[in-house]
Amino acid sequence: MKHFTKLAAAAALGTLLGTAAVAQELYTPNLAYRTGPFAATGIPLMNGQADYMALLNERDGGVGGVLINAEECETGYSTEKGVECYEKTKGTAIVTQPWSTGITLQVLPKTNVDEIPILAPGYGFSPMADGKVFQWAFNMPAGYWDAADMIVQYLEGEGGSLSGKKIAFLHLDHPFGKEPLPVLEMHAANKGFELLPIPVGLKEMQNQSAQWLQIRRERPDYVVMWGWGAMNAGAITEAVKTKFPMENFIGVWWAGHDADLKLVGEDGKGYKSISWSFPNPDAPVMKQVKEMVFDKGLSQSNEEEMQGVFYGRGLVMSAILAEAIANAQSNFGTAEIDATQLRWGLENINLTEDRIAELGMEGMVPPFSTSCANHTGHSGGWMLEWDGAKFVKASDLLTPNVDGYSELIQSSASEYATANAPWAMNEECSATN
Amino acid sequence: MLYRTAGQFKTSYVADQALFTVKQDAFLLGIILLLGWVVFPLTASEFTFQTLLIPILIYALAAMGLNILTGFAGQLSLGTGAFMGVGAYACYKMVTLFPWMNPIIAILLSGVFSAGIGVAFGVPSLRIKGFYLAIATLAAQFFLVWLFEKWSWLYNYNASGAIQVPNLEMFGVFVSGPQAASVTEYYIVLFVVTLLTLLCINLTRGNLGRTWKATRDMDIAAELIGINLMKSKLTAFAVSSYVVGVAGALYVFMWKGAAEPNVFDIPLSFQVLFIAIIGGLGSIMGNYLGAILIVGLPVVLNVVAGTQVFQMSALGAAVLVALVAAVAFLGWVARNGWTIGAVAGFAVLTLIYGYAQTQGFRIDSALIEHINVMIIGALIIFFLIIEPHGLNQLWRLIREKLIIWPFPH
Repeated sequence: MKHFTKLAAAAALGTLLGTAAVAQELYTPNLAYRTGPFAATGIPLMNGQADYMALLNERDGGVGGVLINAEECETGYSTEKGVECYEKTKGTAIVTQPWSTGITLQVLPKTNVDEIPILAPGYGFSPMADGKVFQWAFNMPAGYWDAADMIVQYLEGEGGSLSGKKIAFLHLDHPFGKEPLPVLEMHAANKGFELLPIPVGLKEMQNQSAQWLQIRRERPDYVVMWGWGAMNAGAITEAVKTKFPMENFIGVWWAGHDADLKLVGEDGKGYKSISWSFPNPDAPVMKQVKEMVFDKGLSQSNEEEMQGVFYGRGLVMSAILAEAIANAQSNFGTAEIDATQLRWGLENINLTEDRIAELGMEGMVPPFSTSCANHTGHSGGWMLEWDGAKFVKASDLLTPNVDGYSELIQSSASEYATANAPWAMNEECSATN
Repeated sequence: MLYRTAGQFKTSYVADQALFTVKQDAFLLGIILLLGWVVFPLTASEFTFQTLLIPILIYALAAMGLNILTGFAGQLSLGTGAFMGVGAYACYKMVTLFPWMNPIIAILLSGVFSAGIGVAFGVPSLRIKGFYLAIATLAAQFFLVWLFEKWSWLYNYNASGAIQVPNLEMFGVFVSGPQAASVTEYYIVLFVVTLLTLLCINLTRGNLGRTWKATRDMDIAAELIGINLMKSKLTAFAVSSYVVGVAGALYVFMWKGAAEPNVFDIPLSFQVLFIAIIGGLGSIMGNYLGAILIVGLPVVLNVVAGTQVFQMSALGAAVLVALVAAVAFLGWVARNGWTIGAVAGFAVLTLIYGYAQTQGFRIDSALIEHINVMIIGALIIFFLIIEPHGLNQLWRLIREKLIIWPFPH
């Protein structure tokens, strides 16, 4: 019984300490998915995000002297769980990070009413770039339409004019996979290449023999892939099996996961993935995370994972959020900012080369800036190439030619607003995208 | 004592056939209705509305629709998710084509479309039975979800391929979409669910319900006594799909706010089927009990596991459960092995957990999720073992015991 008393006392003390800590922290929940069918790709990203926040808490005592509470709420990539998590966390949260496209679609209209910024780095709905309409939504540093534009640019730069060529667009048959179609179709019409969309159903992700048979028959010059989760590994192994030339196979940034390529190793050499992040092993922040978080046992990650593209991307995502928090803190003169103030911070991010170096993240993210009208930043990215063991940069910084589809962004955004009328917009914003 | 029936005499056949033959049942229902209509709306938080009250009601309604078909008429269906989808897409098309339409009317009408589709896919039931019929409904499941993906007219040619619920007004109040208050949505769901429950109770007790039950119990015998099997089976498909379709419309319009086609895929069908089975096939109340267990309990467990109070009370619970388990073990060890096993297992787990907590072991949300899944799975097995006929039967047994209490027979 004495033992039990001791245990009870310890539990009570823990509770007291826990409650005391609640008062001074910034709550930035992450709707993580470490379980379910997409867990393999989720875990490195979540670890990167969590470790960067842990680094800030360890090294600087949080941001502006206030600790960051980057608690995770597990969704398993299911929309129901996602909405549950959103409702559970929105009370004290200053930001919401919804992760899946399905959850983003459901949470997006709610955040506009609840007035909580939604941070969806590199995913979500491309027209979110229009900050005047989507005043609470941010998908910096780059959106899917930027990715599609950069891939087309890269292909032109490599193989000359695309006129008369054939590009197969292998995509998940899901809102996420259909996202870049408008921009790709626009380029196909302007540049005279043939676009061949090949959908992969959610149930066929692991068995794409039918799709690859079609690719073999059609003999496209390039295959562009918008895949996620198990679909990427399926496509890459199938491409190797059908001996598709890997150097003509390009994926979006979510299709550049080291583990998927390690399955095929040397055979995957030449596979490319556009990316707005790069895991620069020489960047100081990587060393600091290793020393101050990993070595202290505060991380759930492992050495191998920490070298990967997705882990590095997780670090960048948290760095963007921390930068926004710091911005808001210095502008409003208070350390404990609220959701509205954080929105200002997110709208006024200016990550220059110097600032990125200051954060110790050289070469990990391209410079970009946001404004009240531009919630994406359109940072551009690098083409990464699998060299048989890891991803390396295969191009200089590519920047999207946003002028080509800025009208599309605006018309899609206003279409969304009309469909969801009454939709609160940012009327004060006078900047242009 | 609470259920004393002494003095409640039935003096006519009508009284003997009444919905509530025991006064206390009506009283209990009154309390539940009071809770649902007055107490919950006044006290619930946004979180409770969105994650417990509204989804439990909607899932219970969907399970009730399925129960009409599977539980009462004996026709196994694996296409519930797709029929919910038909209701949702029909409602979406109606409110976008005719924006002046009253949202509640639209929701109630959307069931008509799913009823039509349901009857069409129910036609094979005239020739095939059992597992073969299940496969025919499975075909409906795959075909309809495929149709939701490919037929862009259904989602108004949205680039994302998903349907997004617009803000709909009724008498100047937003009833659906992001602008709607949760309490308004809750009342609409509650109104529709109450209405359809009333309908289902009366249908299953009436002439139609009896022909369904006769078809279920033995279709040849039913045919011999003059029941038209075609009529019986097809009406079951129609009523069932109607209720399921309305549940689907509520599911998207009053709760989710947006849906992509794969939301209506087979996992949804299974979830609804499990609710119906756990709750009890061939019952109305069981659907609610099943929905509370399968939809509500995981949310509650998640919340409880995350709170500070729990971390403290885990220890108290551990001690308590250990004591209970010890007493139970001494008392009924020979008589009731299963109960003992479950209680002892739970006690051991709680003890381990309490111990780990005090040793500074932090439980993260992914682990909570894993444990949650295990607990729900264990509970489903537990309930099915102690009462294979579902929670409804469990309640009926408890009620019988209460009526004759304190006498054992």
